[in-house]
Amino acid sequence: MSADNSTRVYLGVGAAPGYASGKAYVIRNAEDTMTVPAGSILVMRILHPHLAPLLPRVAGLVVEEGAILQHATTLARECGIPAAVGIRDARNLFQDGAVLEVDGYTGKVIERQVT
Amino acid sequence: MEVTGADNIASASIGSAQPYRRHIIGLPLQRSLFGLTARAATTIGLPGLSSESNFPARLDENGDLFLDRSQVIALTKALPSWFTPETLELMHTRHADACDALVDATENAAGVAASLNDKDSELFEDLANKMALVLAYGILSKFVPDVLLRALADAGDVESPPFPEKSAGAELMQNTFALSQTCCALNYSPQRLQQEWPRVSPEVFQLVREFCHRQTGFGPLAWDAPGYEDPSYVVRLLHSAFAQVDSEQVSRRFSFSKRTRLVQSTSKVTKKIAALRRLLGLWLDFLERETWYVRRAFYVGMVPLLQQLAARYRQKTPAFQSADLLFLDLRELVSGIADPAVIRTRRHRYMENTDYLSLHGVDPCRLATMLGSS
Repeated sequence: MSADNSTRVYLGVGAAPGYASGKAYVIRNAEDTMTVPAGSILVMRILHPHLAPLLPRVAGLVVEEGAILQHATTLARECGIPAAVGIRDARNLFQDGAVLEVDGYTGKVIERQVT
Repeated sequence: MEVTGADNIASASIGSAQPYRRHIIGLPLQRSLFGLTARAATTIGLPGLSSESNFPARLDENGDLFLDRSQVIALTKALPSWFTPETLELMHTRHADACDALVDATENAAGVAASLNDKDSELFEDLANKMALVLAYGILSKFVPDVLLRALADAGDVESPPFPEKSAGAELMQNTFALSQTCCALNYSPQRLQQEWPRVSPEVFQLVREFCHRQTGFGPLAWDAPGYEDPSYVVRLLHSAFAQVDSEQVSRRFSFSKRTRLVQSTSKVTKKIAALRRLLGLWLDFLERETWYVRRAFYVGMVPLLQQLAARYRQKTPAFQSADLLFLDLRELVSGIADPAVIRTRRHRYMENTDYLSLHGVDPCRLATMLGSS
């Protein structure tokens, strides 16, 4: 992988296999769940089951909660959505609109700075 | 390039000084339920959990959850050596029974609430104790499944974890999409439904209401945060989830079984491995339903009891509001103590916690709405 100052790589745990890329959309409060852009990479503390209906419109998941056995893993696997879990402080690391690549096999999340 | 390592938040964030989760529960009634979990946990029968003081979780007055790392470590160390096919089966039975008992108590409370007179305090206590037990399992779910997974690996199991073939969340997703499709067939796209709700056709109105009734229980951990019991929430969620999304794309996401089917084991499956997998499967299913059990018990079982109780309070104090009961603790509720000054103080403190209200999407009308929507 090429590396430079405009790229940041975060290592979590691969929770659901596959690759996804898209713009980050950070869930910080309940209201944020009502305006999820289609094709986004959802960044959240944890994915609770009641938010499952949002999954078909997202490309990938980045979750702060680190346990491999959790809601996000189950749901993302069921829906075939690449997911990385255990990205600590993800909601502060990423801004809405940041370009992210999610490797659901390794748990790697790459943030590319768009110039 | 900057590389940042991530570790397991379940262990990294556990500590007695810093909250494990902030602002998770705001209502005094729900916080007091949490106070029963330590005692309830002692009935589960796990090694190292015979005393309330061994329970690793507590909730403070701000609704922040604290986990005691040393207790978590003690429990996770005590469990593996205790695992035998027999103890694993016992854990399975007790856990499943606790969930079933709560479902039964919920339906029972809902069925008899309207005809109650003096016995509602017993029902309150019974329902609350069963909710507390499931809540205790919910706390344990933060680390017991990981212990089981490690025990499986140690026993030589090489298969994937036994994730549910169709989880509660996946089922909810499918049912929500089906509702959206039905509304679309009745000329109510997600956009139109949101714009016109609740002034929609009687048929669509009824569809949404019935859906909410069936799915009550799905929602956030905090009861005051809107969830599927609230038609307005569901209508907004339908819009957020399915507006401007290709139906085919959504349908493709529903090919659950193809993705989750386990490979048949080629390794020797011992009795212990089989028991570990069976129990882990139960926990993984429970993970998807833990909030549902307790939230449904509140909305379907406890709210009708609260409505009855509120009516009785109003006979003495006409200005008494049903939502005032949410600011009492369980002990105060069952003993009939409701000091208006205390309620006012607690309500004021709750309404001033704007961080909490914003985080959970609680608007000023929410408390009255939640006691009217059982």
